[in-house]
Amino acid sequence: MKRGLALIAAAGIALFAIAAAGAKSNDTTISGAGSTFVSPLVSTWTPALGEAFGLNVQYSGVGSGAGIAAITNRQVDFGASDAPLSPDQASACKGCVQIPWALSATSIAYNVPGAPVHLNLDGKTISKIFLGQITNWNDAAIKALNKGANLPDLKITPVFRSDGSGTSYNYTDYLSAVNPEWKSKIGVSTQPAFPAGVGARGSGGVAGVVSRTDGAITYVDVAFALKNHIRFAAVRNAAGKFLFPSLRRITAAAAAFTKVPRDNEMHIVNPSKKAALAYPICTYTYIIVPQQTSHAPELRKMIFWALTQGQRPQFTAKLLFAPLPKPVLVASEKTLKSIHS
Amino acid sequence: MLPPGMEAASVPGAAALGQTRRVGDRVGDGILHGLTALAALIGVAIVFAIVWRVADGAWPAVKLFRLHFLWAREWNAPLNKFGARDLIVGTVVTSFGAMLLAAPLSIAIGLFLSELAPPAIRGPVGTLVEMLAAVPSVVVGLWGIFVLAPFDAQHVQPFLGSALGWIPIFAHGQDKVESTVFTAMIVLTMMVIPITSSICRELFIGVPTELEEASIGLGATRWEMVRTVVVPTVRGGVVAAVILGLGRALGEAIAVSQVIGNFIPLKLSIFEPGDTLASRVAGQYQGAITNVQIASLIYLALILLVITFITNVAAQRVVKRFEFQRTGGA
Amino acid sequence: MSEPALSLKATGRSRRRLLTNRGAEVGASAAAAIAVAALLVLIWSVGSRGVSALNWDFFTKGPAVFGEAGGGVAPALVGSLLLVAIATALALPFGVLAAIYVSEFAHPRFGRQVRLWLDVLNGFPSIVIGIFVFALCVKVSLPVVGWGRHQSAIAGGSALAIIMLPLVARATMEVLTLVPNELREASYALGVSKWQTVLRVVLPTSLGGILTGTTLAIARAAGETAPLLFTCAIAGQIVDWNPSHSVQSIPLMIFQNSESPDPNLHAQAWAGAFVLIVFVLVTSLTARFLLDRSRRKLGLQR
Repeated sequence: MKRGLALIAAAGIALFAIAAAGAKSNDTTISGAGSTFVSPLVSTWTPALGEAFGLNVQYSGVGSGAGIAAITNRQVDFGASDAPLSPDQASACKGCVQIPWALSATSIAYNVPGAPVHLNLDGKTISKIFLGQITNWNDAAIKALNKGANLPDLKITPVFRSDGSGTSYNYTDYLSAVNPEWKSKIGVSTQPAFPAGVGARGSGGVAGVVSRTDGAITYVDVAFALKNHIRFAAVRNAAGKFLFPSLRRITAAAAAFTKVPRDNEMHIVNPSKKAALAYPICTYTYIIVPQQTSHAPELRKMIFWALTQGQRPQFTAKLLFAPLPKPVLVASEKTLKSIHS
Repeated sequence: MLPPGMEAASVPGAAALGQTRRVGDRVGDGILHGLTALAALIGVAIVFAIVWRVADGAWPAVKLFRLHFLWAREWNAPLNKFGARDLIVGTVVTSFGAMLLAAPLSIAIGLFLSELAPPAIRGPVGTLVEMLAAVPSVVVGLWGIFVLAPFDAQHVQPFLGSALGWIPIFAHGQDKVESTVFTAMIVLTMMVIPITSSICRELFIGVPTELEEASIGLGATRWEMVRTVVVPTVRGGVVAAVILGLGRALGEAIAVSQVIGNFIPLKLSIFEPGDTLASRVAGQYQGAITNVQIASLIYLALILLVITFITNVAAQRVVKRFEFQRTGGA
Repeated sequence: MSEPALSLKATGRSRRRLLTNRGAEVGASAAAAIAVAALLVLIWSVGSRGVSALNWDFFTKGPAVFGEAGGGVAPALVGSLLLVAIATALALPFGVLAAIYVSEFAHPRFGRQVRLWLDVLNGFPSIVIGIFVFALCVKVSLPVVGWGRHQSAIAGGSALAIIMLPLVARATMEVLTLVPNELREASYALGVSKWQTVLRVVLPTSLGGILTGTTLAIARAAGETAPLLFTCAIAGQIVDWNPSHSVQSIPLMIFQNSESPDPNLHAQAWAGAFVLIVFVLVTSLTARFLLDRSRRKLGLQR
C-alpha cells in the first residue's frame, strides 16, 4: 500500500512536471475561441498556417459571446466574433482591438417538406415569423411572396441561438433595420430575448434542430446551410429583388459601405436601393486581440496571412466567404500594426 | 487506542529501545493523524468554498433583484432584466414529473427482482440495472435527441394530446416540435430509474427472510406480504432513494438541455419547449454578455444549490429516522 | 350427497384476495418489464449505431476539416484519459486519507460531520462544481504552473476530482469499517504503533474495497460533461498530452456532435457513447470482481 501511495504521489509530481515543462517551453500554439460562423474558415486555414509558419492554431467555435468573454479573461490568445464589441465589452476587454478578417452572409434556412426549392421571403415577413405573429407556412403574407407555390398547412417553428452569438447580432441588426416593431420590442443583441420558438447552441445546433424539425426556420451562416444541405430562402433586398446569398451578392453588399470607422465597427445589413445586387443580411466577422500580448509576433503573422493569402478562393469560395474589400483591408492592416508585445 | 499498559516501554529491559521507538511512533502517529485530518478538512472546506464562491458570484444579482428574482418571469439579456420563475417551474415540473413516473417503476423493478422474478433472471437483470446507473447523462441525452424525441413527437405526444388534450397542460398543437418539456421529463426518467431501482432492489432483498416467511406462513398472499411486511420495513429507505433520484434530476444540466428546447417564457402545455435552472446555466454561462447576466446565471446556480441541499438533507433525515425506527432507537 | 366436504377452489373473500395478488404480481412484473425494456432499447440503440461507426480512423485521427467526411476523435480520447488520470491522482489520496481520518482517528462526532458534508458534496449538481472551478481558474492566477487564467486539463481534472472525492471517501470508509477490529488489536498487541498499523495492516486489508470505490468513481468521472463545460472546453483539434492546455474530451464531443446536423458527426457521437458505455461496463465489472474478492478475503480472515 505504501508503494501504491508512493506511486500515486510520483504520478502526481510527474504530471505537474509535465505541466511545468509544457508551460515553460516556447511553443507556438495560438489558441482562439468564439464565433461558430467563422469556424469553418479557420478550420481550412489551420493546416496552411501550420505549413507556412509552423503555427499550431487551436480554434474552438464556442459562440461569439463566449469568444468575447474568453479574450476578456485572457483565457485565449484571440477571440472571434461576428458582432462588434459593445462599448461596455470594449472597455472590459482592456485594450483589445477588433480586426475585420472575413466577410460572409447569414442565410434564412428552412425545412418545409413540399415547399418550393425557390422560396421568397422579405424582411417584414421574417421578422413577423420570429415575433410569433406569422405562425403557419400557408399564411397569406408568405403566399403573397410566392405566387403559385404550393405551401403546406404546417406550423412554423422559429429556431434561434440560445448562446451569445454574432449571427444573432447580425440577424437582429437586419430585422431592426427593416421592421421598427422589432427594433422597439427586441432590438439588436448577441443574445436577444426571442418571443417564440426553440433555442439551440451554435451554428451546428440551430442547423441540427432545423434538419430534424418539419416546419422549422432559422438564421445560420450560409456555409453551415450549404454543407448540411439545408435549403435557404431568397431574401428581398431594398431594391426589391429576391436574392440568394452568393459571393457576388455579398461583395455587392460590402461595396455599398466604404467608410471604415476608427474602431472598425461595420454594419452592412440592408444596403440602400442603389446596391441592386446586394444580399441584405451580410456581416464582417472580427478577430479580437489584445494590443499588448506576449504572442504578438505570431498573431501578427497569422492575421496578416489570413487577411491576404487566407482570402484566396481556394480557402474561401466553397464556404461562401467573400474577399475583403480594399478599404477594409487597409484599415485592418493598419490596426494590425498596433499589436505589440 | 493503545491502552497505556501495553506501551513498548513498559516491557522490562527494553527501555532504551522503547524510548527511540516511542518517539518515532509518536511522530509517525502525529504525521498520519495530521495528514488525514487535513484531507478531511479539505474535503469539508471544498463544500463551503463552493457555497461561498457561488453566493459571492451571485451577490451583484442578489443585490440588484433581491428575492423578486424568484418570481420575475422575464429573461432579457439586452435589457439586463432577469428572473428565475419560469426556470424554477421548468426544473420542478421536469424533475417531479420524472419522479412521478420513475418512482413506481423503480419500486416495481425492485419488487420484481427481489420477490417475483425467477432466480435465473434476478442476477443478470439486477446487474444490468445496476450498471445502467453508471451510464453517463450525455449518452442518455444523445439517445433522447435521436431516438426518443422523434418517437415522442410522432406518436406519444399526439396520442396523449388527443386523449388528454382537454387538460391545458396536455394541450397539443398540430406542430411536431421534438424539443419539449415532456421529452426532457422522459429523459430524466430514464436517467433516474436505474439509480433508484437498484437501491430499491437492495432494500427489498435486505428485508429479513424470517419476516417474509412468517407472513406467508400465516396465510398471506404474496401481494399481502409485500404490502404488510416488505414495504413497511423499508419505507424510509424507498423514500430516501426517491429523493436521491429527485436530487439527480433537479441538478441535471446536460441531458435536459439537449432535449428541452431552451425557451422561456414557459407555456402552459408540457408539449412545448421550456428550460430549467441547470440547463440555462449550462447554455449561457460561457457566452454571457454583461456582468449582470453572469451574476444572474450564478444566482440561478445558487437557487439550484439551495434546492438540492434541501432535498439531500431531507433524504438523510428520512434515512436517519428509518434507521432509528428499525434499531428501536438504539 | 356427492358434494366434497372441502373445496380447494377459492371462493368469495379468498378468491378476491388471490385475484388481487395475481393482479398486483402481473402489474409489478409488467411495469418492471416496460422499464427494463426501455433501458434495453437505450443500450441497443447505442450498441447498434455505435459499433457501425467504429473504425480505425475513429481512434487514430483528429476531427476532419469542415466539409470533409471521415476523421476521428483521437484528441478527445487522449483528453479524456488525461482528465481522468488527473482527477484520480487528486481524488484518490485525499479521499482515502479523509476516510482514514473518519474511521481511525476522528472523534465519532467529527467523523459524522465529515461524512455528512461529503454526502452534501456528493449531492451538489455537477454544473455548480463547474462554475466553482471556473471561478478558480479564471479569476485567480495562482503561481502554480499550468493553473489560472485559462482553461486547462488540470482545471477540468480538478472539477472531476471534486466529483470523485466523496465517492472514493465514502467507499473507503465503508470498507474500513469492515476491517475486523481483531486485526488492529493484534497489531497493537505486538507493539506496533498506530500509524504503522493503519498503513501496514488496515489499508492493505481494505485495498480491494478502496479500488472498487475508485473504479466506480472513475466510471462516473469519465462520463461527466457539465463540469468540463466551463473548465476544459476551449480546445484545439489535435492530440495534446499537455495538462496545462485545454483538451478535448469524449463527453463534450458527444454533447457538441449530438446537436449538429451532420450525420458524420452523429456517427462519431454514437461511437463515442458506445466507447464510454463499454468503459463504464468494464470498470463496473472490474469493481464487482474486486469487491467480491476483497469481501472473500475479509470473510476468510474473520
